[in-house]
Amino acid sequence: MPLVLWRDARVQRIAVQALVLAIVAIIGWFLVDNLISELDRTGLQAMPFVEVSGSFPFVDFSEDFLSQRAGFGIGETSFGVDYTPNNSYADAFRAGLANTFRVAVLGIVLATAIGLLAGVSRLSKNWLVSHLAEAYVETFRNVPLLVQLIFWYTAVALRLPTITDTMDLLGVMLVSNRGVAVAWGEPQDGFRLWLLLLGGAMVIALVVRAALVRWQDASGTPRYPWWGAFGVFAAIGAITFFATGQPLEFQRPVLEGRAYAGGAQLSPEFVALLVGLVLYTGAFIAEVVRGSILAIPRGQDEAAAAVGLKAMQRLRFVILPQALRIMVPPLTNQYLNLMKNSSLAVAVAFPDVFQVTRVTINQTGQAVPMIVLVMATYLTISLAISAVMNLAYNRGLRGGR
Amino acid sequence: MIAMAPAAQQRRIIIRRSPRAWARENLFGSAGNTLLTVVSLAVVAFMAYGVLRFVFVTADWSVVEANRRLFFLGRFPADETWRVWIILYVVSAIGGVSVGAYARIPWQAAIGLALLMVPVLLFIQGGQVALLTLVALALFAAGYGVARLPAAAAYVAQQRGWLPVVWVAAVLFALWLLSAVPTLVWGGLMLSMTLTVVGIAAAFPLGLLLAIGRASTLPVVRWLSITYIEVIRGVPLITILFMATYLLPLVLRPERDLALGIIDLPITGYNPNLVVRAFIAITLFSAAYLAETIRGGLQAVPRGQMEAAQALGLGTTRTLAFIVLPQALRAVVPAIVGQFISLFKDTSLVAIVGLTDLLGVARQVTAQQEFIGRQAETLLFVAAIYWMVAFSMSRASQRLEKTLGIGER
Repeated sequence: MPLVLWRDARVQRIAVQALVLAIVAIIGWFLVDNLISELDRTGLQAMPFVEVSGSFPFVDFSEDFLSQRAGFGIGETSFGVDYTPNNSYADAFRAGLANTFRVAVLGIVLATAIGLLAGVSRLSKNWLVSHLAEAYVETFRNVPLLVQLIFWYTAVALRLPTITDTMDLLGVMLVSNRGVAVAWGEPQDGFRLWLLLLGGAMVIALVVRAALVRWQDASGTPRYPWWGAFGVFAAIGAITFFATGQPLEFQRPVLEGRAYAGGAQLSPEFVALLVGLVLYTGAFIAEVVRGSILAIPRGQDEAAAAVGLKAMQRLRFVILPQALRIMVPPLTNQYLNLMKNSSLAVAVAFPDVFQVTRVTINQTGQAVPMIVLVMATYLTISLAISAVMNLAYNRGLRGGR
Repeated sequence: MIAMAPAAQQRRIIIRRSPRAWARENLFGSAGNTLLTVVSLAVVAFMAYGVLRFVFVTADWSVVEANRRLFFLGRFPADETWRVWIILYVVSAIGGVSVGAYARIPWQAAIGLALLMVPVLLFIQGGQVALLTLVALALFAAGYGVARLPAAAAYVAQQRGWLPVVWVAAVLFALWLLSAVPTLVWGGLMLSMTLTVVGIAAAFPLGLLLAIGRASTLPVVRWLSITYIEVIRGVPLITILFMATYLLPLVLRPERDLALGIIDLPITGYNPNLVVRAFIAITLFSAAYLAETIRGGLQAVPRGQMEAAQALGLGTTRTLAFIVLPQALRAVVPAIVGQFISLFKDTSLVAIVGLTDLLGVARQVTAQQEFIGRQAETLLFVAAIYWMVAFSMSRASQRLEKTLGIGER
């Protein structure tokens, strides 16, 4: 123990931490104290009245301005959420959240598909294909997403032919400035039962696959386990589909007067937002894919070629499985970006959670609780996505490197 | 189908071939390849037709021509414009020297740049502005030329470590020059650039502190840093902009004296205007991302360096200042350029909170009575400006990465 107290490393550590904590506390106290006094003066609320409850989103606002009648309409809702202007602000928030989820989930799926395609195309030996992919990537990732979104909305989606001149694409898609209608399966009675049976079919298919793999290993001749499993799944799916009375009715969209009927109807706002998010994020994902494939040592591909694998086999069995491991963390980042960027829906008037928040602030003036609420919501989703992806990465994908 | 690591990791061996042999190898190698080529050609032809037809036939570019000044400067007063020109000249000259100090511009890129300048100069038309722009270009070329002079090259290469210092000085000088003009009239591309530069420069000290804090062994410091970084990175920028817009006036403008226990501090309220609020929001946002970038640099410094410094008897502070940070910061320079690009694109969000940056001007212009319905032209013009800045900087950053040899050791 040194003789001089302030020379002691342990004392120094504690002192430094106490000092940092004190500085942060003073700044925080200064800001919060000002905030509270300002809110008192203007008669606004500081925090939403939060009470944990059992129902989604696990917060109860019953004593709060959030439980008052919202009075504004929401153009479209997702996942069967019911909302009318008579519902509360909290309901509006939930409806917005559902819209955010719809655009984020669909966006992630489509952006991954486009990104994979463009990323693999950039490495193609075909000069034209690789440069076309490069042109796509460099164009879309160097222009701000917000500019692209406003372009897709005001210069494309709203300038399409009017609904009376609707463009009919092969009868499966109708396009006009009122949005897009796509042929889509409409769930009928017994749909849930069929989904349940499909789940069972998947389990059976996986069992069949495992059996075929064992048989293949034992006999030494190919038994095509994936094809077998797929066949079993498709057969059971088809049989149960008719057994449950055809619970999914395939509908083509039609024009009825001045509106679409049948199929899945997508508003121009949703289409513009989705197209913008997908093309922008797809360009970044393409770079992730390309980088991950290039990171695989050349020898891997050469060795696979020497063993006699064809190009597609090398990609499927040697390159992609390794590239996938490298891909997961940056891909997670891109998914998070897409989810956060969906808040730019405000620019195209799509009623996502942020747009609803903005309208609520304009109507009630309750900026502080609404901003806290919406930030907490995004933060929760972000942390959840990264937790899930980290778990998947650590459990299975990282491999023994 | 896939060419593994084509030429990227090795030196390119250039073999001269006849165009026919080249086409056979690269376009029509097999039946599948030919099909791909034909499909791609159709896509290219379709898109080229659409774009060219729009640009030269359908489009009415009068909306851009009538509002040129707005796009670049917003409502910046005309008799103060010289300030912006001086900054442009200083930046051009330093930019030329910086590029020259790190890399030779390949002739293909030089031609590309020259071709890009043609529409810009055609577009400017006005004799005086075109002349002033040419001066900026000449200064860039002069700076580049001086840095590449055989007599100076060795000296410049030796001293190029000072360039970041020169850039910081230039930023301070620019801000000092601009500060005479009220922030509320800053606008257009000039505002977008200023937001980006301040967003990186002002956020750097905070980002550095947060990065060191996150790597610290002191739990309180580490957790505070992690909380800040993860919260900011977990929410969209637009929510931070809204928070700044609505909350800053509330938390900074007490209508009373602040009583800090014993002492009374007569702090009079400060109510930042909309533009300043955006500057604060962008800085707070950017600091979290910078912190993560710098952390990457800190982790790239081998542990042995720290242990050696400690063995020599250097304390934590001196190890950090003289051993770790110089190496870490050198490694993150290209990443910071990358962040500059993404922040430059992100600044377009301030248009949503009512600022007239480049995109904000575009929205204002298309709301004018005579230009209603000219969104496509306006947005394409704005997109082209964003693209030119972002693309040229990303190429520059790639070159820089190669010259510095990052990731190669």
